[in-house]
Amino acid sequence: MDTVISNCIYLGKGLIFTLELTMGSIAVGLALGVFLSVLRHCRICVSLVRGWSSIIRGTPLILQLSIIYFSIPNLIGVRMNILSAGIIAFGLNSSAYVAEILRSGIESLPKGQFEAARTLGIPTFYMWRDIILPQVAMNILPTLVNEVIALLKETTLISIIGGMDIMRRSQIVAAEQFEYFMPLCIAGVYYYCLAMLIEFIGEKIERKVAYAKNS
Amino acid sequence: MNEKWPMLKIHNASKSFNGVEVLNNVSLEVAKSDVLGLAGPSGSGKSTLLRCIQQLEILDGGSMECDGKIGFMFQDFQLFPHLTVLQNLLYALNLGEKNARRRQSNEMQAKIMLKNLGIEAKASMYPYSLSGGQKQRVALARSLMVDPDVLLCDEPTSGLDVATTMDVVLLLKSACETGVTMIIASHDLDFLTKISNRIVLLRDGKIVLDVDVKQCQDPVNHLKKYYAD
Ligand SMILES: Nc1ncnc2c1ncn2[C@@H]1O[C@H](COP(=O)(O)OP(=O)(O)O)[C@@H](O)[C@H]1O
Ligand SMILES: [Mg+2]
Repeated sequence: MDTVISNCIYLGKGLIFTLELTMGSIAVGLALGVFLSVLRHCRICVSLVRGWSSIIRGTPLILQLSIIYFSIPNLIGVRMNILSAGIIAFGLNSSAYVAEILRSGIESLPKGQFEAARTLGIPTFYMWRDIILPQVAMNILPTLVNEVIALLKETTLISIIGGMDIMRRSQIVAAEQFEYFMPLCIAGVYYYCLAMLIEFIGEKIERKVAYAKNS
Repeated sequence: MNEKWPMLKIHNASKSFNGVEVLNNVSLEVAKSDVLGLAGPSGSGKSTLLRCIQQLEILDGGSMECDGKIGFMFQDFQLFPHLTVLQNLLYALNLGEKNARRRQSNEMQAKIMLKNLGIEAKASMYPYSLSGGQKQRVALARSLMVDPDVLLCDEPTSGLDVATTMDVVLLLKSACETGVTMIIASHDLDFLTKISNRIVLLRDGKIVLDVDVKQCQDPVNHLKKYYAD
């Protein structure tokens, strides 16, 4: 019993790391993704955004992570800590997917909403911030929740640059104690709880904004 | 002030979509405080003409000159679904308005407007909970809030029942009394003759008839002749 508790505590530290990594990455991914999807509507930037999206989605995440952690510090001569490198890599990666989700959300909005904003003399910045994006956010929320859960599971890749997340810690415990089942079960429970937490928060927000779903 | 001052001048406007000519050298002058009915069968280019006046579409040729602010009422209203009725009316007006007293007077004005339209009880509701006629009123109120000199209405009665259509006639009539110049596109001749003092008939992107409603004995039948063949 003692080993179970001490393993839970040991993996619990990984839970905090995983949570920090996921939240940091999704914050970066959302901010950059929104920026990219709006930039898509500026004529000169379209191909830039498309190129970015295409490169990110066409290369393995593990490669992107390695470039950011191993090779960029080599080039500019600054070492990054594992968490920041992870947040940057996962954040950049998810920005392309978030931008893609947003793009379809924006495209499915009636063109008349943009036109109504224009006829009322609403400047572009405010149109996006107050009229377009809030509606898009409402519509894509379920897809976005899926993206966050996918990101949570992808953060397990952090172990290749030495990040001590839930998965890595469970493997260390397993190797030390020659016992796989228990630590992996604990890891599974932790990941599942995190995923359910994300889904719960998503549903909470969804219920709050449901009033305006169908106009 | 000269009552017959042209508020809007359109000269030889033309517009095509994918090589198909939708507006064909349309020339039109609209006097201040006029209520112009824009009649014509479906597909004749009414919406396109209004959209060109509002500059939602760019003309291929010709010119347009408008001597004032333009308001637009969409056929499908295009209310902002995530804002309440009151917020729909106030959002554009209060943008960049830091002066608290002026914001308050804007809100007062919006509430008076809703009251005049008989929907003050809906002020804090969201658009999805309104009926078609109520949405119509909110759309009218929203376009009047920015105090336009010219109001363009695209099919304001489409999808409304007879009783609600009568309400819309009264509403638009009371809006006319404020002196706003109006251009109302509709395929419904009865409706147009009730509300406008001049009716222009569009067919295949050309103006084929221009009648003064008061001078005409039976405008509906007169216009109908041009509808058929
Ligand atoms: N954005 C567009 N792209 C292509 N064709 C269009 C577009 N807008 C209008 N049209 C065409 O122009 C013609 C006139 O349309 P419209 O101005 O909406 O007529 P109305 O309002 O009188 O019914 C129609 O044949 C329609 O298909
Ligand atoms: Mg039309």
